[in-house]
Amino acid sequence: MAWIVKESAKMKIDRRPEPYLTDEMKARYEKDVLPRYETKMGAMMPILHDVQHAYNHIPYQAMEEIAAFLDLHPGDILDTVSFYEEFHTHPVGKYTIAVCQSIACEVCGHQAILDHLREKLDIEPHETTEDGKFTLLALECLGACDDAPCCLINDDRHNKLTIEGIDKVLDSLPD
Amino acid sequence: MPLTDPVLCKRIPTKPWGDPKDRKLITYDEYVRTGGYQALERALDMDPKDIVEEVKAAQLRGRGGAGFPCGVKWSFLPEPDGGRRYLAINCDEAEPGTFKDRLLVDFDPHYVLEGIAIACYACQLDTAYFFIRGEYRHQAKTFERAIKEAYDNGIFGPQGLLRGKVDFAVECYQHRGAGAYICGEETGLLEAIEGKRGWPRIKPPFPAVKGLFGRPTIINNVETLAAVAPIIEKGAKWWNEIGCESSIGGPPSYGTKLMGVSGHVNSPGVFECELGIPLSKLVNDYCDGMRGGKKFKGAIAGGVSMGILGPDQFDAEMDFDIGKKYDVMGLGTACPTIFDEDTDMVAVARNIARFFKNESCGQCTPCREGAQWIYKLIGRIEQGNATSKDLDLLLELGQSMGAMPGTTICGLADGNNWAIRTIVNKYRDEFEARVKPYSVAVNATVGATG
Ligand SMILES: Cc1cc2nc3c(=O)[nH]c(=O)nc-3n(C[C@H](O)[C@H](O)[C@H](O)COP(=O)(O)O)c2cc1C
Ligand code: SF4
Ligand code: FES
Repeated sequence: MAWIVKESAKMKIDRRPEPYLTDEMKARYEKDVLPRYETKMGAMMPILHDVQHAYNHIPYQAMEEIAAFLDLHPGDILDTVSFYEEFHTHPVGKYTIAVCQSIACEVCGHQAILDHLREKLDIEPHETTEDGKFTLLALECLGACDDAPCCLINDDRHNKLTIEGIDKVLDSLPD
Repeated sequence: MPLTDPVLCKRIPTKPWGDPKDRKLITYDEYVRTGGYQALERALDMDPKDIVEEVKAAQLRGRGGAGFPCGVKWSFLPEPDGGRRYLAINCDEAEPGTFKDRLLVDFDPHYVLEGIAIACYACQLDTAYFFIRGEYRHQAKTFERAIKEAYDNGIFGPQGLLRGKVDFAVECYQHRGAGAYICGEETGLLEAIEGKRGWPRIKPPFPAVKGLFGRPTIINNVETLAAVAPIIEKGAKWWNEIGCESSIGGPPSYGTKLMGVSGHVNSPGVFECELGIPLSKLVNDYCDGMRGGKKFKGAIAGGVSMGILGPDQFDAEMDFDIGKKYDVMGLGTACPTIFDEDTDMVAVARNIARFFKNESCGQCTPCREGAQWIYKLIGRIEQGNATSKDLDLLLELGQSMGAMPGTTICGLADGNNWAIRTIVNKYRDEFEARVKPYSVAVNATVGATG
């Protein structure tokens, strides 16, 4: 798609010689993912989840490889990747802390938690600490409003947060 | 009339019948041991058309927000033509304040799967996609395991629908979203399954005719489908005895409903209630009252899109009449967020406006731009930099956007409109107090000239 082939776009893509989509991955997608969808494009989101799981984010080179694998344009992949908040085009921290900022969490005191994290980690929402350990996110409702205020740290939800509580959790996470 | 026995929470300990601390995942074996999959067994003895008729007779209304009668939706499908037909199950649940479907997925996934199996057989749909929001990570793992159990036990797959009892096979796949509220809109959801950005489609064509991959598709909410098994097991008549009739000559609100209460109450959580329960009763009897004994100031009716119930609407009945009777959009997901007397309603409006600004998919100008403006205007009001004219502009903007006024593709903009409009109208004093009177400086010279 235009963003990759156009000289004028001057977009630099970090490349590495070995592919991101390994033969093992491709074989798995052929067997488990592609048969589930009427079109090859349908397989895109499960593949993106898998690639992000393997590499922490979805590098542009991987998008080109996915495009080749699914007979699509790289731009089709970027189009989908860029639309969804959970897909990252650049590396994120080892732990992403996603604090809910929607209404139930706000009226139950999410701001104090968020401010505390900003100060403690010395980053703003959507930034990553220099050591690459934490990325802070402020997201909309996580579907756990009865446990407000809450956050997701990677796959785990932490409920009814207090400043002491979140400190304890963060301190217990290995580097 | 209070519900005597739980229906959807039959196996999930919930007040007043059980203690949430005792909740555990119901596995396939446990599900079957407690009477599970008998409704499917029964359904497979029926003619598929009769199942649709039974659900129609039950007048089961969609639990995903719009309240559309489920059986009627099913009957919009064309006759099978040998090609593929789909069921898409909506577990996006990203509407702020809403967390009811999660309860079923967390603890009783086979209840949902049984409903899926019955719906697929009734409507002759061969493939079901369970669309689950990206943030439900543990839930996705739980559900994936449950799907596998269902395959292993002859519910899905080539030897499925109870081990080959009928000559029909259903495949059931999970599809994970990736953090976009708009994928809860039914056609945005279909786009996401097709691997595209979740841009809602212009209707018609309606999904029942041309949906996923261009084929006939039914989209239902998780809770709607969970209600199908008990309806088939006990009959539409039994379902019609739960809930209430309309008090304003509208369609009835039959059955039980999961209601998730959050905000300023002592014990927030999901409860199963009969439709028609007054909000005050829900708060006082199920949630142990307002936190700190504070006074009720208002509540999001059922997800922020529905708008707000004002201080004098605490006794509003939670049923499908609520929209017409209390000037909100509707019952929505029946998950109210409660605010006490100390809540700053301008801040509430700002929070909700930010949500819609962030989640607009950007296709329609009135929604994309309008949401930005509304957010900025409310921010100005909150900071005391606005004039009374801005307040009027805010209302005018709100009213101009939505599928109902006909300026946008989907209902997200209507949600923004209803949320902001009802907050401003019901708490107008609070907004007025934050704005300066509107005045124009005129350059007039008084006195003699020359
Ligand atoms: C912006 C928007 C978001 C929606 N989000 C959801 C959702 O998260 N879950 C859901 O079940 N329905 C949601 N809906 C409603 C669906 O479009 C659809 O009406 C529903 O899934 C149909 O299922 P039901 O008839 O069983 O309720 C949303 C609608 C709109 C306009
Ligand atoms: S109304 Fe808003 S969310 Fe819906 S399609 Fe239009 S821009 Fe997208
Ligand atoms: S508002 Fe925070 S989880 Fe719903």
